Amino acid sequence: MELLGTVIGVTVKSLIFIIVMFLAAAYLTLLERKFAGHVQQRPGPLHVGPHGFLQPIADALKVLTKEDLVPDSVDKVLFYMASLLAFVPAIMILAVVPFGEPFTIFGLEIKPYVTDLNIAILLALAFGSLSIYGVIFAGWASNSKYPMIGGLRKAAVLIGYEVALGFAMVGPIMQAGSFSLREIVEAQSGMWFIIPNILAFVVIIFAILAETGRTPFDVQEAEAELVGGYVTEYTGMKFGLFPLAEWYIATFVLSAIAVILFFGGWQPLPLMGWLPIPDIIWFFIKVFLLFMFFLWVHWTLPRYRVDQITELAWKVMLPLALANILVVALWIIFIG
Amino acid sequence: MVKIKYVERPELTNRERIFFVDFIKGMRVTFRNLLRKTVTTAFPFEKLTPPKRFRGTHAHRVKNGKEPPSFKVIEKFMDIDTGESRCVACYMCMQACPVPFLFNIEAVQLPDGRKKVVRFDMNLLNCMYCGLCTEACPVDCLIMTDIYETASYHRASCVLHIDDMAKRGIDFDRRRYDEPDRIWIDDDQRSKLWGQIKWS
Repeated sequence: MELLGTVIGVTVKSLIFIIVMFLAAAYLTLLERKFAGHVQQRPGPLHVGPHGFLQPIADALKVLTKEDLVPDSVDKVLFYMASLLAFVPAIMILAVVPFGEPFTIFGLEIKPYVTDLNIAILLALAFGSLSIYGVIFAGWASNSKYPMIGGLRKAAVLIGYEVALGFAMVGPIMQAGSFSLREIVEAQSGMWFIIPNILAFVVIIFAILAETGRTPFDVQEAEAELVGGYVTEYTGMKFGLFPLAEWYIATFVLSAIAVILFFGGWQPLPLMGWLPIPDIIWFFIKVFLLFMFFLWVHWTLPRYRVDQITELAWKVMLPLALANILVVALWIIFIG
Repeated sequence: MVKIKYVERPELTNRERIFFVDFIKGMRVTFRNLLRKTVTTAFPFEKLTPPKRFRGTHAHRVKNGKEPPSFKVIEKFMDIDTGESRCVACYMCMQACPVPFLFNIEAVQLPDGRKKVVRFDMNLLNCMYCGLCTEACPVDCLIMTDIYETASYHRASCVLHIDDMAKRGIDFDRRRYDEPDRIWIDDDQRSKLWGQIKWS
Protein backbone atom coordinates (compact mmCIF):
# COMPACT_ATOMS: atom_id res chain seq x y z
CA MET A 1 0.00 0.00 0.00
CA GLU A 2 2.81 2.35 0.86
CA LEU A 3 4.63 1.39 -2.33
CA LEU A 4 1.51 2.11 -4.38
CA GLY A 5 1.23 5.54 -2.77
CA THR A 6 4.84 6.32 -3.59
CA VAL A 7 4.43 5.20 -7.20
CA ILE A 8 1.28 7.29 -7.65
CA GLY A 9 2.91 10.29 -5.98
CA VAL A 10 6.03 10.12 -8.11
CA THR A 11 4.02 9.60 -11.32
CA VAL A 12 1.74 12.55 -10.61
CA LYS A 13 4.67 14.76 -9.67
CA SER A 14 6.64 13.77 -12.78
CA LEU A 15 3.63 14.47 -15.00
CA ILE A 16 3.12 17.86 -13.38
CA PHE A 17 6.82 18.70 -13.75
CA ILE A 18 6.94 17.66 -17.40
CA ILE A 19 3.75 19.45 -18.42
CA VAL A 20 4.54 22.62 -16.49
CA MET A 21 8.08 22.63 -17.86
CA PHE A 22 6.72 22.24 -21.41
CA LEU A 23 4.34 25.16 -21.00
CA ALA A 24 6.98 27.22 -19.22
CA ALA A 25 9.42 26.56 -22.07
CA ALA A 26 6.80 27.72 -24.56
CA TYR A 27 6.41 30.98 -22.69
CA LEU A 28 10.17 31.33 -22.22
CA THR A 29 10.34 31.54 -26.03
CA LEU A 30 8.00 34.53 -25.87
CA LEU A 31 10.11 36.05 -23.10
CA GLU A 32 13.26 35.60 -25.13
CA ARG A 33 11.72 37.04 -28.28
CA LYS A 34 10.39 40.06 -26.41
CA PHE A 35 13.75 40.58 -24.73
CA ALA A 36 15.68 40.20 -27.98
CA GLY A 37 13.30 42.59 -29.70
CA HIS A 38 13.64 45.33 -27.15
CA VAL A 39 17.41 44.96 -27.06
CA GLN A 40 17.33 45.69 -30.80
CA GLN A 41 14.74 48.47 -30.35
CA ARG A 42 11.87 46.58 -31.95
CA PRO A 43 8.81 45.34 -30.06
CA GLY A 44 8.99 41.61 -30.78
CA PRO A 45 5.78 39.57 -31.17
CA LEU A 46 2.92 42.04 -30.88
CA HIS A 47 -0.05 40.88 -32.88
CA VAL A 48 -1.36 37.55 -31.55
CA GLY A 49 -3.21 38.39 -28.37
CA PRO A 50 -2.36 41.37 -26.17
CA HIS A 51 1.34 42.15 -26.68
CA GLY A 52 1.81 38.81 -28.40
CA PHE A 53 0.78 36.84 -25.35
CA LEU A 54 -0.74 33.98 -27.40
CA GLN A 55 2.20 33.80 -29.80
CA PRO A 56 3.69 30.59 -28.26
CA ILE A 57 0.38 28.79 -28.80
CA ALA A 58 0.23 29.93 -32.42
CA ASP A 59 3.83 28.84 -32.89
CA ALA A 60 3.17 25.44 -31.32
CA LEU A 61 0.15 24.90 -33.58
CA LYS A 62 2.20 25.90 -36.59
CA VAL A 63 5.16 23.68 -35.75
CA LEU A 64 2.93 20.70 -34.95
CA THR A 65 0.99 20.95 -38.22
CA LYS A 66 4.08 21.34 -40.42
CA GLU A 67 4.92 18.55 -42.80
CA ASP A 68 7.50 16.27 -41.22
CA LEU A 69 10.07 15.65 -43.94
CA VAL A 70 12.73 12.98 -43.58
CA PRO A 71 15.46 13.24 -46.23
CA ASP A 72 16.14 10.12 -48.23
CA SER A 73 19.74 9.44 -47.29
CA VAL A 74 19.63 10.04 -43.54
CA ASP A 75 20.29 7.38 -40.93
CA LYS A 76 16.63 6.92 -40.00
CA VAL A 77 17.06 5.51 -36.50
CA LEU A 78 19.54 8.10 -35.33
CA PHE A 79 17.68 10.86 -37.11
CA TYR A 80 14.49 10.15 -35.18
CA MET A 81 16.32 9.41 -31.96
CA ALA A 82 18.46 12.55 -31.96
CA SER A 83 15.66 15.01 -31.34
CA LEU A 84 14.32 12.89 -28.48
CA LEU A 85 17.81 12.36 -27.12
CA ALA A 86 18.31 16.10 -26.94
CA PHE A 87 14.96 16.66 -25.28
CA VAL A 88 14.40 13.83 -22.80
CA PRO A 89 17.63 14.01 -20.75
CA ALA A 90 17.28 17.79 -20.49
CA ILE A 91 13.87 17.42 -18.91
CA MET A 92 14.99 14.45 -16.78
CA ILE A 93 17.38 16.65 -14.81
CA LEU A 94 14.22 18.11 -13.27
CA ALA A 95 13.78 14.85 -11.35
CA VAL A 96 16.51 15.79 -8.90
CA VAL A 97 15.99 19.55 -8.69
CA PRO A 98 14.45 20.47 -5.32
CA PHE A 99 12.15 23.47 -5.61
CA GLY A 100 11.58 24.00 -1.91
CA GLU A 101 11.21 22.46 1.50
CA PRO A 102 8.50 19.83 2.09
CA PHE A 103 5.21 21.44 3.07
CA THR A 104 1.82 20.12 4.25
CA ILE A 105 -1.54 20.66 2.57
CA PHE A 106 -4.72 19.00 3.96
CA GLY A 107 -2.63 16.78 6.20
CA LEU A 108 -0.70 15.48 3.20
CA GLU A 109 3.03 16.08 3.17
CA ILE A 110 4.14 17.21 -0.27
CA LYS A 111 7.78 17.27 -1.26
CA PRO A 112 8.33 19.70 -4.14
CA TYR A 113 10.86 17.42 -5.82
CA VAL A 114 10.50 14.07 -7.54
CA THR A 115 13.33 12.35 -5.74
CA ASP A 116 16.16 13.23 -3.40
CA LEU A 117 19.04 11.16 -4.67
CA ASN A 118 22.30 11.19 -2.77
CA ILE A 119 24.14 11.48 -6.13
CA ALA A 120 21.81 14.09 -7.56
CA ILE A 121 24.51 16.41 -8.86
CA LEU A 122 26.30 13.60 -10.69
CA LEU A 123 22.99 12.63 -12.30
CA ALA A 124 22.43 16.21 -13.41
CA LEU A 125 25.93 16.32 -14.91
CA ALA A 126 25.43 12.99 -16.66
CA PHE A 127 22.07 13.88 -18.19
CA GLY A 128 23.33 17.32 -19.14
CA SER A 129 26.10 15.70 -21.16
CA LEU A 130 23.76 13.05 -22.56
CA SER A 131 21.50 15.66 -24.09
CA ILE A 132 24.51 16.93 -26.04
CA TYR A 133 24.67 13.55 -27.74
CA GLY A 134 21.37 14.49 -29.37
CA VAL A 135 23.15 17.34 -31.13
CA ILE A 136 26.08 15.18 -32.19
CA PHE A 137 23.79 12.38 -33.42
CA ALA A 138 21.67 14.87 -35.32
CA GLY A 139 24.78 16.18 -37.04
CA TRP A 140 25.97 12.70 -37.94
CA ALA A 141 22.62 11.19 -38.94
CA SER A 142 21.67 14.03 -41.27
CA ASN A 143 24.28 12.85 -43.79
CA SER A 144 24.91 16.37 -44.95
CA LYS A 145 27.94 18.56 -44.56
CA TYR A 146 26.65 21.53 -42.57
CA PRO A 147 24.95 19.49 -39.83
CA MET A 148 28.00 17.30 -39.57
CA ILE A 149 30.32 20.28 -39.09
CA GLY A 150 27.92 21.59 -36.46
CA GLY A 151 27.81 18.28 -34.61
CA LEU A 152 31.58 17.85 -34.69
CA ARG A 153 32.10 21.41 -33.45
CA LYS A 154 29.77 20.69 -30.56
CA ALA A 155 31.71 17.50 -29.77
CA ALA A 156 34.99 19.43 -29.76
CA VAL A 157 33.56 22.08 -27.45
CA LEU A 158 31.95 19.43 -25.23
CA ILE A 159 35.27 17.85 -24.33
CA GLY A 160 36.62 21.23 -23.27
CA TYR A 161 33.89 22.59 -21.06
CA GLU A 162 32.66 19.36 -19.43
CA VAL A 163 35.98 18.90 -17.62
CA ALA A 164 35.90 22.45 -16.27
CA LEU A 165 32.23 22.07 -15.35
CA GLY A 166 32.90 18.90 -13.36
CA PHE A 167 35.78 20.47 -11.44
CA ALA A 168 33.83 23.67 -10.80
CA MET A 169 31.08 21.69 -9.08
CA VAL A 170 33.61 20.25 -6.61
CA GLY A 171 33.78 23.42 -4.53
CA PRO A 172 30.16 23.52 -3.31
CA ILE A 173 30.20 19.75 -2.86
CA MET A 174 33.26 20.01 -0.59
CA GLN A 175 31.61 22.71 1.50
CA ALA A 176 28.30 20.89 1.83
CA GLY A 177 29.85 17.47 2.25
CA SER A 178 27.15 15.89 0.11
CA PHE A 179 26.11 15.20 -3.48
CA SER A 180 22.45 15.69 -2.68
CA LEU A 181 21.11 18.99 -3.99
CA ARG A 182 18.70 19.30 -1.07
CA GLU A 183 21.50 18.97 1.47
CA ILE A 184 23.62 21.45 -0.50
CA VAL A 185 20.82 23.99 -0.18
CA GLU A 186 20.38 23.29 3.52
CA ALA A 187 24.11 23.77 4.09
CA GLN A 188 23.76 27.33 2.73
CA SER A 189 21.33 28.60 5.38
CA GLY A 190 24.08 30.69 6.98
CA MET A 191 25.99 31.94 3.95
CA TRP A 192 25.69 31.28 0.25
CA PHE A 193 28.43 29.29 -1.43
CA ILE A 194 29.07 32.14 -3.88
CA ILE A 195 31.41 33.71 -1.28
CA PRO A 196 34.44 31.42 -1.53
CA ASN A 197 33.34 29.87 -4.85
CA ILE A 198 33.30 32.99 -7.03
CA LEU A 199 35.85 31.46 -9.44
CA ALA A 200 33.74 28.34 -9.81
CA PHE A 201 30.72 30.52 -10.53
CA VAL A 202 32.51 32.16 -13.46
CA VAL A 203 33.42 28.72 -14.77
CA ILE A 204 29.85 27.48 -14.38
CA ILE A 205 28.46 30.49 -16.27
CA PHE A 206 30.89 29.70 -19.08
CA ALA A 207 30.00 26.00 -19.06
CA ILE A 208 26.24 26.59 -19.07
CA LEU A 209 26.52 29.00 -21.98
CA ALA A 210 28.60 26.43 -23.87
CA GLU A 211 26.35 23.51 -22.98
CA THR A 212 23.11 25.22 -23.97
CA GLY A 213 24.64 26.65 -27.13
CA ARG A 214 23.88 30.27 -26.33
CA THR A 215 25.52 32.98 -28.27
CA PRO A 216 29.14 33.46 -27.36
CA PHE A 217 29.54 29.71 -27.81
CA ASP A 218 26.81 28.78 -30.31
CA VAL A 219 29.27 27.22 -32.74
CA GLN A 220 26.97 24.27 -33.43
CA GLU A 221 24.34 26.33 -35.21
CA ALA A 222 26.30 29.43 -36.28
CA GLU A 223 23.58 30.47 -38.68
CA ALA A 224 25.87 32.82 -40.58
CA GLU A 225 28.35 30.04 -41.36
CA LEU A 226 26.52 26.72 -41.21
CA VAL A 227 23.03 27.45 -42.66
CA GLY A 228 21.21 26.07 -39.61
CA GLY A 229 23.98 23.96 -38.11
CA TYR A 230 22.90 20.57 -36.85
CA VAL A 231 19.17 21.26 -37.44
CA THR A 232 19.54 22.01 -41.16
CA GLU A 233 17.82 18.81 -42.29
CA TYR A 234 15.08 18.83 -39.65
CA THR A 235 11.51 20.00 -40.09
CA GLY A 236 8.35 20.25 -38.03
CA MET A 237 8.26 19.28 -34.39
CA LYS A 238 11.50 17.28 -34.67
CA PHE A 239 13.12 20.62 -35.42
CA GLY A 240 11.15 22.41 -32.75
CA LEU A 241 12.35 20.08 -30.01
CA PHE A 242 15.99 21.11 -30.42
CA PRO A 243 15.77 24.80 -29.55
CA LEU A 244 13.09 24.01 -26.99
CA ALA A 245 15.41 21.53 -25.27
CA GLU A 246 18.66 23.45 -25.64
CA TRP A 247 17.76 27.08 -25.34
CA TYR A 248 14.89 26.92 -22.91
CA ILE A 249 14.62 23.71 -20.89
CA ALA A 250 18.36 23.10 -20.52
CA THR A 251 19.07 26.74 -19.76
CA PHE A 252 16.28 26.85 -17.22
CA VAL A 253 17.25 23.60 -15.50
CA LEU A 254 20.95 24.40 -15.46
CA SER A 255 20.14 27.86 -14.08
CA ALA A 256 18.26 26.04 -11.32
CA ILE A 257 21.32 23.88 -10.64
CA ALA A 258 23.57 26.94 -10.55
CA VAL A 259 21.16 28.69 -8.17
CA ILE A 260 21.18 25.64 -5.92
CA LEU A 261 24.96 25.40 -5.96
CA PHE A 262 25.84 29.06 -5.45
CA PHE A 263 22.82 31.17 -4.48
CA GLY A 264 21.26 29.16 -1.70
CA GLY A 265 18.40 27.49 -3.57
CA TRP A 266 15.14 28.39 -1.90
CA GLN A 267 16.75 30.46 0.87
CA PRO A 268 15.48 34.05 0.78
CA LEU A 269 17.69 36.86 -0.49
CA PRO A 270 19.85 38.40 2.27
CA LEU A 271 18.05 40.92 4.51
CA MET A 272 14.72 40.01 2.88
CA GLY A 273 13.90 36.92 4.93
CA TRP A 274 11.07 38.74 6.77
CA LEU A 275 9.00 39.11 3.57
CA PRO A 276 5.99 36.74 3.47
CA ILE A 277 7.17 34.93 0.33
CA PRO A 278 7.14 31.12 0.22
CA ASP A 279 10.43 29.39 -0.46
CA ILE A 280 9.34 28.03 -3.87
CA ILE A 281 8.72 31.60 -5.06
CA TRP A 282 12.19 32.64 -3.85
CA PHE A 283 13.66 29.79 -5.83
CA PHE A 284 11.84 30.77 -9.00
CA ILE A 285 12.78 34.43 -8.59
CA LYS A 286 16.45 33.49 -8.44
CA VAL A 287 16.22 31.08 -11.36
CA PHE A 288 14.38 33.70 -13.39
CA LEU A 289 17.04 36.32 -12.69
CA LEU A 290 19.81 33.94 -13.72
CA PHE A 291 17.88 32.95 -16.85
CA MET A 292 17.49 36.61 -17.77
CA PHE A 293 21.22 37.04 -17.28
CA PHE A 294 21.84 34.28 -19.82
CA LEU A 295 19.43 35.93 -22.26
CA TRP A 296 21.22 39.22 -21.75
CA VAL A 297 24.59 37.64 -22.50
CA HIS A 298 23.12 35.86 -25.52
CA TRP A 299 21.82 39.04 -27.13
CA THR A 300 24.97 41.03 -26.39
CA LEU A 301 28.02 39.06 -27.41
CA PRO A 302 29.30 37.93 -30.79
CA ARG A 303 30.42 34.36 -31.44
CA TYR A 304 33.75 32.80 -30.54
CA ARG A 305 35.58 30.47 -32.89
CA VAL A 306 35.82 26.80 -31.93
CA ASP A 307 39.56 26.95 -31.29
CA GLN A 308 39.06 30.01 -29.09
CA ILE A 309 36.44 28.19 -27.05
CA THR A 310 38.55 25.10 -26.52
CA GLU A 311 41.52 27.31 -25.72
CA LEU A 312 39.43 29.23 -23.20
CA ALA A 313 38.11 26.03 -21.69
CA TRP A 314 41.44 24.25 -21.31
CA LYS A 315 43.78 27.17 -20.62
CA VAL A 316 41.60 29.47 -18.52
CA MET A 317 38.53 27.75 -17.17
CA LEU A 318 40.10 24.46 -16.09
CA PRO A 319 42.91 26.17 -14.09
CA LEU A 320 40.30 28.50 -12.59
CA ALA A 321 38.22 25.52 -11.48
CA LEU A 322 41.27 23.85 -9.98
CA ALA A 323 42.29 27.08 -8.23
CA ASN A 324 38.79 27.26 -6.85
CA ILE A 325 39.19 23.83 -5.27
CA LEU A 326 42.37 25.08 -3.55
CA VAL A 327 40.64 28.25 -2.34
CA VAL A 328 37.70 26.31 -0.97
CA ALA A 329 40.00 23.79 0.73
CA LEU A 330 41.91 26.59 2.47
CA TRP A 331 38.60 28.25 3.38
CA ILE A 332 37.35 25.03 4.97
CA ILE A 333 40.59 24.53 6.91
CA PHE A 334 40.94 28.08 8.24
CA ILE A 335 37.42 29.49 8.48
CA GLY A 336 35.04 26.63 8.78
CA MET B 1 50.44 51.15 -56.08
CA VAL B 2 48.16 50.49 -53.18
CA LYS B 3 49.65 51.30 -49.83
CA ILE B 4 48.81 48.96 -47.00
CA LYS B 5 48.88 50.16 -43.44
CA TYR B 6 49.34 47.44 -40.88
CA VAL B 7 47.66 48.11 -37.56
CA GLU B 8 48.63 46.37 -34.35
CA ARG B 9 45.79 44.69 -32.54
CA PRO B 10 45.45 46.45 -29.18
CA GLU B 11 46.44 44.16 -26.34
CA LEU B 12 44.13 43.90 -23.36
CA THR B 13 45.49 45.17 -20.09
CA ASN B 14 45.46 42.84 -17.13
CA ARG B 15 42.72 44.85 -15.46
CA GLU B 16 40.50 44.43 -18.54
CA ARG B 17 41.34 40.77 -18.78
CA ILE B 18 40.52 39.84 -15.19
CA PHE B 19 37.34 41.84 -14.68
CA PHE B 20 35.82 41.34 -18.19
CA VAL B 21 35.73 45.08 -18.85
CA ASP B 22 34.79 44.77 -22.52
CA PHE B 23 32.08 42.28 -21.64
CA ILE B 24 30.57 44.69 -19.11
CA LYS B 25 30.72 47.55 -21.62
CA GLY B 26 28.78 45.47 -24.13
CA MET B 27 26.22 44.47 -21.54
CA ARG B 28 25.74 48.12 -20.66
CA VAL B 29 25.03 48.98 -24.28
CA THR B 30 22.34 46.31 -24.64
CA PHE B 31 20.78 47.28 -21.33
CA ARG B 32 20.58 50.92 -22.40
CA ASN B 33 18.94 49.84 -25.65
CA LEU B 34 16.48 47.72 -23.70
CA LEU B 35 15.13 50.82 -21.96
CA ARG B 36 14.83 52.87 -25.15
CA LYS B 37 11.66 53.30 -27.14
CA THR B 38 11.19 51.05 -30.15
CA VAL B 39 11.72 52.63 -33.56
CA THR B 40 9.60 50.31 -35.69
CA THR B 41 6.41 50.93 -37.63
CA ALA B 42 3.55 48.44 -37.42
CA PHE B 43 3.56 48.19 -41.19
CA PRO B 44 0.21 46.96 -42.47
CA PHE B 45 -1.64 49.10 -39.94
CA GLU B 46 0.61 52.12 -40.00
CA LYS B 47 2.16 53.29 -43.27
CA LEU B 48 4.81 55.92 -43.67
CA THR B 49 4.56 58.32 -46.60
CA PRO B 50 7.78 58.19 -48.57
CA PRO B 51 9.45 61.40 -49.73
CA LYS B 52 8.44 62.78 -53.11
CA ARG B 53 11.70 61.68 -54.70
CA PHE B 54 11.08 58.08 -53.65
CA ARG B 55 11.71 55.60 -56.47
CA GLY B 56 8.56 53.51 -56.44
CA THR B 57 6.33 52.06 -59.16
CA HIS B 58 6.59 53.83 -62.51
CA ALA B 59 3.91 56.08 -63.98
CA HIS B 60 3.30 58.24 -67.05
CA ARG B 61 2.55 61.92 -66.91
CA VAL B 62 -0.36 62.83 -69.19
CA LYS B 63 -0.86 65.63 -71.66
CA ASN B 64 -2.27 68.35 -69.44
CA GLY B 65 -0.73 71.64 -70.56
CA LYS B 66 2.26 71.49 -68.25
CA GLU B 67 4.55 69.86 -70.78
CA PRO B 68 8.17 70.97 -71.27
CA PRO B 69 9.08 72.77 -74.54
CA SER B 70 10.58 69.60 -75.99
CA PHE B 71 7.10 68.11 -76.07
CA LYS B 72 5.55 71.22 -77.66
CA VAL B 73 7.95 70.87 -80.60
CA ILE B 74 6.98 67.30 -81.34
CA GLU B 75 3.31 67.59 -80.39
CA LYS B 76 1.90 68.13 -83.86
CA PHE B 77 3.47 64.93 -85.11
CA MET B 78 1.83 62.83 -82.37
CA ASP B 79 -1.70 61.50 -82.01
CA ILE B 80 -2.21 62.28 -78.31
CA ASP B 81 -5.41 63.66 -76.76
CA THR B 82 -5.51 65.62 -73.53
CA GLY B 83 -5.52 63.24 -70.58
CA GLU B 84 -3.60 60.53 -72.42
CA SER B 85 -0.02 59.52 -71.73
CA ARG B 86 2.40 61.97 -73.28
CA CYS B 87 4.86 59.25 -74.30
CA VAL B 88 6.35 59.87 -77.74
CA ALA B 89 7.98 56.41 -78.08
CA CYS B 90 11.51 57.81 -78.42
CA TYR B 91 13.01 54.69 -76.79
CA MET B 92 15.32 56.82 -74.64
CA CYS B 93 14.20 55.01 -71.50
CA MET B 94 15.05 51.71 -73.10
CA GLN B 95 18.46 53.05 -74.11
CA ALA B 96 19.19 54.18 -70.58
CA CYS B 97 17.93 51.03 -68.92
CA PRO B 98 20.50 48.51 -67.63
CA VAL B 99 18.00 45.73 -68.41
CA PRO B 100 16.54 47.00 -71.69
CA PHE B 101 14.35 44.01 -72.45
CA LEU B 102 11.99 44.86 -69.63
CA PHE B 103 10.52 47.55 -71.91
CA ASN B 104 8.16 46.60 -74.69
CA ILE B 105 7.38 49.76 -76.66
CA GLU B 106 5.50 49.85 -79.96
CA ALA B 107 4.33 52.76 -82.06
CA VAL B 108 2.45 52.84 -85.39
CA GLN B 109 2.03 55.44 -88.10
CA LEU B 110 -1.55 56.50 -88.66
CA PRO B 111 -2.89 57.12 -92.24
CA ASP B 112 -2.66 60.87 -91.70
CA GLY B 113 1.09 60.54 -90.98
CA ARG B 114 1.03 61.06 -87.24
CA LYS B 115 2.63 58.65 -84.73
CA LYS B 116 0.61 56.76 -82.13
CA VAL B 117 2.02 54.84 -79.19
CA VAL B 118 0.08 51.58 -78.98
CA ARG B 119 2.10 49.72 -76.40
CA PHE B 120 4.31 50.67 -73.49
CA ASP B 121 4.83 47.70 -71.18
CA MET B 122 7.33 47.50 -68.35
CA ASN B 123 8.07 44.18 -66.70
CA LEU B 124 8.83 45.32 -63.16
CA LEU B 125 10.02 41.84 -62.17
CA ASN B 126 13.26 42.72 -63.97
CA CYS B 127 13.39 46.32 -62.79
CA MET B 128 15.92 47.39 -60.18
CA TYR B 129 14.33 50.82 -59.62
CA CYS B 130 17.51 52.70 -60.46
CA GLY B 131 15.56 55.60 -61.97
CA LEU B 132 17.78 56.02 -65.06
CA CYS B 133 14.77 55.77 -67.36
CA THR B 134 13.02 58.69 -65.69
CA GLU B 135 16.12 60.84 -66.05
CA ALA B 136 16.40 59.93 -69.73
CA CYS B 137 12.81 60.82 -70.59
CA PRO B 138 12.95 63.98 -72.80
CA VAL B 139 9.28 64.94 -72.39
CA ASP B 140 9.04 64.44 -68.60
CA CYS B 141 6.64 61.58 -69.19
CA LEU B 142 8.05 58.55 -67.38
CA ILE B 143 8.23 59.23 -63.63
CA MET B 144 8.50 57.19 -60.45
CA THR B 145 5.83 57.48 -57.80
CA ASP B 146 5.72 56.93 -54.05
CA ILE B 147 3.84 53.62 -54.38
CA TYR B 148 5.89 50.80 -52.89
CA GLU B 149 3.44 47.96 -52.30
CA THR B 150 4.06 46.07 -55.52
CA ALA B 151 3.54 42.45 -54.50
CA SER B 152 0.93 40.47 -56.39
CA TYR B 153 -0.22 36.92 -56.92
CA HIS B 154 0.61 36.58 -60.62
CA ARG B 155 3.62 37.48 -62.68
CA ALA B 156 1.34 38.96 -65.29
CA SER B 157 0.12 41.61 -62.89
CA CYS B 158 3.69 42.79 -62.33
CA VAL B 159 3.77 44.11 -65.93
CA LEU B 160 2.71 47.74 -66.24
CA HIS B 161 0.63 48.89 -69.21
CA ILE B 162 0.30 52.36 -70.63
CA ASP B 163 -3.25 52.99 -69.39
CA ASP B 164 -2.47 52.02 -65.79
CA MET B 165 0.63 54.15 -65.86
CA ALA B 166 -1.29 57.19 -67.11
CA LYS B 167 -3.89 56.69 -64.39
CA ARG B 168 -1.21 56.35 -61.73
CA GLY B 169 0.54 59.45 -63.06
CA ILE B 170 -2.69 61.50 -62.81
CA ASP B 171 -3.18 60.26 -59.26
CA PHE B 172 0.42 61.00 -58.23
CA ASP B 173 0.41 64.50 -59.72
CA ARG B 174 -2.91 65.28 -58.03
CA ARG B 175 -1.45 64.30 -54.67
CA ARG B 176 2.08 65.59 -54.81
CA TYR B 177 2.78 67.73 -57.91
CA ASP B 178 2.75 71.02 -55.98
CA GLU B 179 4.77 69.71 -53.08
CA PRO B 180 8.23 71.31 -52.88
CA ASP B 181 10.92 68.86 -53.87
CA ARG B 182 12.69 67.97 -50.64
CA ILE B 183 14.52 64.87 -49.67
CA TRP B 184 12.38 64.32 -46.59
CA ILE B 185 8.89 65.62 -46.08
CA ASP B 186 7.66 67.31 -42.91
CA ASP B 187 5.59 64.34 -41.93
CA ASP B 188 4.16 63.85 -38.47
CA GLN B 189 5.03 60.17 -38.48
CA ARG B 190 8.51 60.90 -39.76
CA SER B 191 9.21 63.49 -37.09
CA LYS B 192 7.78 61.16 -34.46
CA LEU B 193 10.27 58.51 -35.46
CA TRP B 194 13.37 60.45 -36.39
CA GLY B 195 12.84 63.87 -34.87
CA GLN B 196 12.50 67.18 -36.72
CA ILE B 197 14.94 67.65 -39.56
CA LYS B 198 16.43 71.12 -40.02
CA TRP B 199 16.63 72.37 -43.61
CA SER B 200 19.42 74.66 -44.63
